[in-house]
Amino acid sequence: MEGRISNAWRLTVNDKNFIKTALLSEIRIDGRKPFEYRKISIKFDRGDGSSEVQLGQTRVMGIVTAQLVQPYKDRPKEGTLSIFTEFSPMADPSFEPGRPGELAVELGRIIDRGLRESRAVDTESLCILAGKFVWAIRIDLHILDNGGNLVDAANIAALAALLTFRRPECSLGGEDGQEVIVHPPEIREPLPLTVHHLPIAITFGFFGNEGILLIDPTHNEEAVMGGRMTMTVNANGDICAIQKGGGEGVPQRVIMKCLQLATSKAASITKQIKDAVEAFTERALRKIKRHPTSTDVDVKEKQNQ
Amino acid sequence: MEVDREDGRSQNQLRPLACSRNNLHRAHGSASWSQGDTKVLAAVYGPKAGTKKNENPEKACIEVIWKPKTGQIGKLEKEYEMILKRTLQSICILTVNPNTTTSVIIQVANDDGALLPSAINAACMALVDAGIPTRHLAVSICCCVARSGLVVLDPTKLEEQKMKAFAYLVFPNSVHSVLPEGSPSGQGEPIQNGIITSVTHGIMSVDDYFYCLERGRAASTKLSDFLRKNLQQQSTDSSKAG
Repeated sequence: MEGRISNAWRLTVNDKNFIKTALLSEIRIDGRKPFEYRKISIKFDRGDGSSEVQLGQTRVMGIVTAQLVQPYKDRPKEGTLSIFTEFSPMADPSFEPGRPGELAVELGRIIDRGLRESRAVDTESLCILAGKFVWAIRIDLHILDNGGNLVDAANIAALAALLTFRRPECSLGGEDGQEVIVHPPEIREPLPLTVHHLPIAITFGFFGNEGILLIDPTHNEEAVMGGRMTMTVNANGDICAIQKGGGEGVPQRVIMKCLQLATSKAASITKQIKDAVEAFTERALRKIKRHPTSTDVDVKEKQNQ
Repeated sequence: MEVDREDGRSQNQLRPLACSRNNLHRAHGSASWSQGDTKVLAAVYGPKAGTKKNENPEKACIEVIWKPKTGQIGKLEKEYEMILKRTLQSICILTVNPNTTTSVIIQVANDDGALLPSAINAACMALVDAGIPTRHLAVSICCCVARSGLVVLDPTKLEEQKMKAFAYLVFPNSVHSVLPEGSPSGQGEPIQNGIITSVTHGIMSVDDYFYCLERGRAASTKLSDFLRKNLQQQSTDSSKAG
């Protein structure tokens, strides 16, 4: 049953030709202009590092958790950041459960390079006791709906989740100062992560002979396009990563044009993410202020235990 | 004897329920169900051609994939998949589409107690959204027995950990007859008194268990009404194509 031809989703030849012909007149099938992004909506369920991002029809959920572990031997003073991408069969009938396929691995690697190698998240501040205890941050990205351009949506979900994640505060204690005490959130306010900059992934699609260039392809356009390229840039104009894995060849000037486009798009998306995070944090703070008695109940609970 | 619940609910009070249908675009059917802070997403693809190996090709096959919020898939997830699969097999009419597979995918968005019941409720809504033929729907509830012997409904995660025992119960949803009152409901009786699935954890006495069943059944009528109202409201929305 796995991978039966009758179960795979394929575009008909008529659909493909329609998309290509429309693109010749700079018309996209969902009415957008070639360099227009779909509507991005960022939602936070609860302020514990979980975010849900909707980019048009694409939906991705990002979840951040942290654990105290022993650091790597060659980096005793740094915490670790790891990204797990789940191409859930929920998102697309062709996604199989089990081991991640090529696309999932590529997506994970692009986001990983953008976040870790550009040092967007400060790993040195995650060190509690050098050589013994550091925080290992784990980002789980669940793809819920594949409407095209999973990389960009997953990247935004990861960033939004990282910005709203709070790790418990801990202090050194014990007899020789070698024990780590983790304080529960009711006693001490958990701390946010130090994020220096936001690397935003922007994906381009290339369509053959006429040199047509698109930003943010939908899954219909992805089935037709000849090549793709993802550029991870931040609002300061730094290039964090560029990924172009095969597909058709593209002249140099097109790459430079893409870079300029990517930088301008990154600025607007960064602003959107920051606004959403700020609005959520404000609301969360207001909720805490309105119920000052809730902390009392928790403390009594602990005493009864 | 009053039990002091952290969020101020009474013994028999359920957490606020919220559900929505048709959230995803690619899936044939999708639903999201939340009880308090527990939130589960379900998606259904089907019927797809062919059955899996070792499955009876003369009947439709149901495949369940459970995705936890974080971490790797372990034995607990496999257990949930098996329970969900057997529950859904008993409510779906398997002879309508033989030699096909219907995939049900569950994604846990947040776990704050009563996870399996929420998942079963979400899966049933998603099946309706996809148009998979079922005999009736299933509503699921979690009942637990406190150390003091009191039976409490719909616990949060903290409450579940403190309880002596708890049971996940699945009942068929209540029959809303279009026949006039007083007509013989001979066929309705066995369904209404049936119990589809029961999973217990911990030690409880036989009397406690029967008491849980009673309470669970009473709560299931409320859940059925909620489910029915929600499905009817959204059925007036436009249908999905492709």
